[in-house]
Amino acid sequence: MSDPAGRGQHLRRALELYGTVLALAVLVVVFALTSDAFLRTANLLNIAKQISFLTILGVGFTLALAAAELDLSFANVCSLASVAVGGLLTVGWPIAGAVAVGLAIGAAFGLANGVLVTRLKVPSLIATLATASIANGIAFAITGGVAYVGRLAEPFLALARASVLGMPVLVLWTAGVVTLAQVFVATTRPGLHLVMTGEAEAAARLAGIRTRSMKVLALALSGLAAGLTAVLLTASLSSAGPTIAYDFLMRGIAAVLLGMTTIEPGRPNVPGTLVGALMIGVLTNGLTLAGAPYYVQDVMLGVIILGSVGLSASQLKRAAFGLGH
Amino acid sequence: MTPVLELDGVAMAYGAVEALRGVSLTVAQGEVVGLCGDNGAGKSTLIKLIAGAEQPTGGSIRLFGAIADFASPRDALSKGVATIYQDLALAPRLPIYQNVFMGAELTRRLAGVPFLDKAAMRRAAKEYLARLSIDMPSVDAPVSRLSGGQRQAVAIARALRWSARVIVMDEPTAALGVKETRRVLDLIGQLHRAGVTVILVSHNMEDVVAVATRVVVLRSGRKVADLSAQGLTAAALGRLIVGADLV
Amino acid sequence: MRKVLGLAVAMAATLLAQDAGAQGFKLGVIAFQMSSETHARVANAVEAAGKARGWDVTLLNSRGSMPEHAAQLDNLVQSGVGGIVLAMGKTVELDAQLAAAKAKGISVVTVMSGTSPHTLLDVAVDDFAAGAKMATYLLNRMNYRGSVLLQRYEGNVSTRARGKVLDAVLSENKAVTVLDAHVMARPQGWREDVKAGMEALTLKHQGKFQGIWASFDGQAFIIDDILREKGVKKGDVALVSIDGGQETFKRIRDPNSLMTASVAIPFEVMGSRAVEAMEAIAVKKTAKEKIVAGPVLMVDTVLVDGSNVPADGKWPW
Repeated sequence: MSDPAGRGQHLRRALELYGTVLALAVLVVVFALTSDAFLRTANLLNIAKQISFLTILGVGFTLALAAAELDLSFANVCSLASVAVGGLLTVGWPIAGAVAVGLAIGAAFGLANGVLVTRLKVPSLIATLATASIANGIAFAITGGVAYVGRLAEPFLALARASVLGMPVLVLWTAGVVTLAQVFVATTRPGLHLVMTGEAEAAARLAGIRTRSMKVLALALSGLAAGLTAVLLTASLSSAGPTIAYDFLMRGIAAVLLGMTTIEPGRPNVPGTLVGALMIGVLTNGLTLAGAPYYVQDVMLGVIILGSVGLSASQLKRAAFGLGH
Repeated sequence: MTPVLELDGVAMAYGAVEALRGVSLTVAQGEVVGLCGDNGAGKSTLIKLIAGAEQPTGGSIRLFGAIADFASPRDALSKGVATIYQDLALAPRLPIYQNVFMGAELTRRLAGVPFLDKAAMRRAAKEYLARLSIDMPSVDAPVSRLSGGQRQAVAIARALRWSARVIVMDEPTAALGVKETRRVLDLIGQLHRAGVTVILVSHNMEDVVAVATRVVVLRSGRKVADLSAQGLTAAALGRLIVGADLV
Repeated sequence: MRKVLGLAVAMAATLLAQDAGAQGFKLGVIAFQMSSETHARVANAVEAAGKARGWDVTLLNSRGSMPEHAAQLDNLVQSGVGGIVLAMGKTVELDAQLAAAKAKGISVVTVMSGTSPHTLLDVAVDDFAAGAKMATYLLNRMNYRGSVLLQRYEGNVSTRARGKVLDAVLSENKAVTVLDAHVMARPQGWREDVKAGMEALTLKHQGKFQGIWASFDGQAFIIDDILREKGVKKGDVALVSIDGGQETFKRIRDPNSLMTASVAIPFEVMGSRAVEAMEAIAVKKTAKEKIVAGPVLMVDTVLVDGSNVPADGKWPW
């Protein structure tokens, strides 16, 4: 670009697209300067492992939000699926069976959310809060509030604890989910139809897209992501409790909102969600390594969430209150 | 000329409210029919029936001589009737080419799995837009960056993509400036020259007399006028609509 | 985007401005749930005791989340701390992380977290001894005569132990009879459960009981409120429980409250004992066996009643 005005515009556009990525890079540099341990391979793999649950759940939430629906049930569904997997393994079920049940519970709740939203016309904000409560109730009913702790079979634990060629298998799971989701959304017809349903439901329907099926699909995939996370979480912690994943609700949403500030600004997008989860993971790890107390971390995270919500509020409103439908 | 679309005694009632009380209408190949009437005259209802969004409670619709029971907009679209709604046509944040191909994307198989063929869609979208001889930024630009006239062009390009034989346009010039309106009217003219049948619903009588070959006026759910647009002035059309001067 | 970027830069400046080169012993503290008063009291005491020694202390809060708990332990292990204190930590679930810490030569001391092969020791109170204190105090207060109501909870090791000791003490004092007992079902909705159960029992046995035993203070507060509503006066019934926080002391001082005594668990003392043990073993390299023979370092409890209740905001230790 020869004229300076044009160059300024390009710079602004680049900052809009990659500002959050740049902020992440700045964080990495800062933490590298404040702690010798930060850039060590072991620590970087540690961060990658830690964000895996957040990322997989976040990808599910991203798909639901891309179809303009909120899934506020993913954390509780994840806890329930975790309890089911842990419970079944404890009573001697084979690993494949327990894992299948965990995934099925996630998908079933997602499907139920989809049916509630598309057939019974319950706004997803309400529908998924309700199913979240149901999942929570069932999880407590199964466990009586007590967690299944420890002593799960080694081959099951290996699902989350093993390494392949020095790479923790959790990181590979996450990479797989992110890649699959992105390929689905960006390069397949159903993926694009899902996005179009979220972007302009009426237009999509008039263009012959099965918008209700797309919403069901999006919520089912979010549920499936919760089921998968449950399996990995249970294996990783070798325990399962009825509130094991509750903390991921806010952070998962935060990761997605942060992600909406980058790559495809204003829209929920899978690579953005990965950036958002990385941001949260790097922030938490880096601040801990730098010796910052927990309340500083909480405040920092809150400020970043506020910033990102401000930038991505419209999509959220649309999903929450059905505006623009 | 062969009748493309024939409506015979079409009626539509919403409970006790009769929106259409038996409208008969024949549209021939290549015509541009201006559909006029005041608010509540029954224009929108008629459009919905032709678009397949609703099903009539009486009468019949024939397309190319065959009874057409459109089950859904998708059904109407696949039978060659494309409807372009005023506000609902496009996904503003998605690229132009994806809007052109919305719901009818091109794919190619890789290892047996169908993936979007974006290159082919970009190429074809450019061709459709070129056929409408309208200036457009890159087909990767989001629709939100386009002017109102350009957006209509994208919506029309989508109708072309469906190889629509009949294009129904609902208030295409509403909320457009003079220059943009001119562009849309040019687009309709191009469609006409290309032999596409157009049904144009508009409040704007100037626009209707400028591009329509025939004018149909609805009032209180009935057809009250059906005449050639040749020599018709906007003022005369206005009188027809309000019923001050029945022909 | 730009806001986030600006924030990151501001944070960079703040962090760099901090004294990054503190050369002392680095201690990490993880509380499982800082919003729980007892967890916070332990963790804050550990932080204070560590800082008093000039250590570089990082205080973390797992917010009651297991995955966060594990991640924080991982982060501390990576950060190169010399020692880690867990306040009410989940040692069984954290088995893998604790093993990794041990492998890296990091000393881990826990408080009320249970024992683990990968930790040095767990600071805890002897629930049997504490239970004996409250049981014998109650009977003494009743002059070893009369009837009692019990509010039990069997779902927790500590409350169960207190109940067992009570049973043992009662079995040797036949002049004191148990009129009735309500057993709390589960942690969820326990307040409603206790309220409903004890309202029924106190109504059924109105005027016939001289003592009430509750397995922890939270239950005693609810019972206190029920009795006050019924117009029971201080001294009419002895209400004895265990835990001992500021709310407990306030009620013991309050002339309108029925709360008679509580066996106070010295969470602050436990925190500082954890740091003392850490200093001896990890810094001064004293053999662990010289500190305590087994895996648990027992801390004594303090029975608090009207005679020794501390002033507002103070502790009896």
